[in-house]
Amino acid sequence: MTDMPILDKFRLDGRVAIVTGAGRGLGRAISLALADAGADLVVTARTKEQIDETAGMVRDKGRKCLAVICDVTDSASVNATVEATIAEYDKIDILVNNAGGATPGFANSLPDITDEIWRIGIDTNLTGAVYCSRAVIPHMLEAGSGKIINLTSGFGLRAGNNNFMYTSAKAGLINFTRSLTMTYAPAIQANLIAPGMFPHDNQAMADWWKGGKFVPMGRLGTDEELAPLAVFLASELTTHMNGQIMVLDGGGLAGGHAPTGLAPLVPLPAEQGTGDMEQER
Amino acid sequence: MTVDFSLVGKSALVIGASGVLGRAAAVALAEAGANVGVTTTTRSKREEVVANSCANEIWALNRKGFAQAIDAANESDVKGVIQRAVSELGSLDVLVNAPDLPFAKPLTEITPAEWRRAIDVNLTGVYLACRAAAEVMLHPDPVGSGFNLTAAGRGSRIINIVSLLGQRGLANGSAYCAAQAGVLNLTRALALEWARTGVTVNAIGAGWTEGMGIITDEAKAQLERYLPYKRLGRPDEIAGAVVYLASDVAAYLTGQVVWIEGGALSHV
Repeated sequence: MTDMPILDKFRLDGRVAIVTGAGRGLGRAISLALADAGADLVVTARTKEQIDETAGMVRDKGRKCLAVICDVTDSASVNATVEATIAEYDKIDILVNNAGGATPGFANSLPDITDEIWRIGIDTNLTGAVYCSRAVIPHMLEAGSGKIINLTSGFGLRAGNNNFMYTSAKAGLINFTRSLTMTYAPAIQANLIAPGMFPHDNQAMADWWKGGKFVPMGRLGTDEELAPLAVFLASELTTHMNGQIMVLDGGGLAGGHAPTGLAPLVPLPAEQGTGDMEQER
Repeated sequence: MTVDFSLVGKSALVIGASGVLGRAAAVALAEAGANVGVTTTTRSKREEVVANSCANEIWALNRKGFAQAIDAANESDVKGVIQRAVSELGSLDVLVNAPDLPFAKPLTEITPAEWRRAIDVNLTGVYLACRAAAEVMLHPDPVGSGFNLTAAGRGSRIINIVSLLGQRGLANGSAYCAAQAGVLNLTRALALEWARTGVTVNAIGAGWTEGMGIITDEAKAQLERYLPYKRLGRPDEIAGAVVYLASDVAAYLTGQVVWIEGGALSHV
């Protein structure tokens, strides 16, 4: 305890959190932030070496960590992960559905999206979160409480040119989350994080976004800036916060134009160019 | 990485701490380590008593602070209290705008003077406070033509407290709803305007909350049947979001509304 009682309420000591896609980037940053706040972890991803590395970093913080190989698009694999969590910790307090991202044929035009390409895109970015939520919710209800944090995107709120699977899945995830809240309140709080332009240590993405010069704040975000938001949402301070989308995007969605972030100042400073992102690319 | 939400060393001013939400915000900021000045929304004795008791709570936490009676729609009152915050607390890192003048009447019965008063306090008061805070939060332009919007500031924060009536209508609430919606879009526009100054501008949208002036007993009973949580919110349930948005870790979050309404807006 400190003389700052509200800061103690951000702590997650004794809580158990599952983070999917925890092998690198944002999933790793969220895992480390939750561990820093006191939680014990289950980190999952498809690549063993990466989650083992994340688990080592969590344990270095003095927290317990289970590394489980899991493909979120395979419900048997998801169910096995949750069973392993219960076997190890006997409870699940927090689920972070972070796994997702670009899938094969990401930017295909509609005629070039095969049934298979569509299915993989939706499975990776929507169905995986459904499988994980379905598997943990009985345990949360049994305990009488739980927090689910789903990672959506600016593309869940706005359209994209030749961006069909990702936008549909991320938008679907938003209303899936809202329906969770309608069904399981007040025991479970389910909220969303919508990151703006976060390159997740990928220099090619950072270059593609031109270092964030189109973002109102003029820069890209870092995973370390996103992770504390997960701590807040996982904490006891969000008892009455349910079905909300926390947009962390340097001002992108407050105004401006698609995809996430371009919001020209008026009048436009010369160094920002025309403000037409497609043309600038 | 270390996750730190502490506000130690920061100075905050809460306009409208005589309302339940403003008061909860002020106490949360003080609990997290900030020194906090608070004001009333209007010059009423009842509000002054609440603001003074809020200041007592802040002092009990061993923080610096003060309470001042102001009219949130009065430009010199607002300028004066922001100057007082700077001189007594040392700076102004966090401005919380929570002026709240509940007003409900059928539109055909609202006089132009009543309409203007509702808009003046609930919406224009927020503009006045942001305008006055700019003199502290933004670096003055050396050329003297206003404010240098490209200068990196101290990372100041503006947090506007609104209700879900900024997003949904309410019969007989036209003036209040219009003002609340105005604050929401003022938040977005100002966030973009100041995006490169280090000042973030966000809103917290509170759901139906215990002690809100606009809720009658009949409405409360109805809401408790209808809301997903089967209860109203408690004022201190906005506390975590206030501290999160005010903290250094929220530097990349701007122009957003954080709704804390127990899922009421998800309801069809």
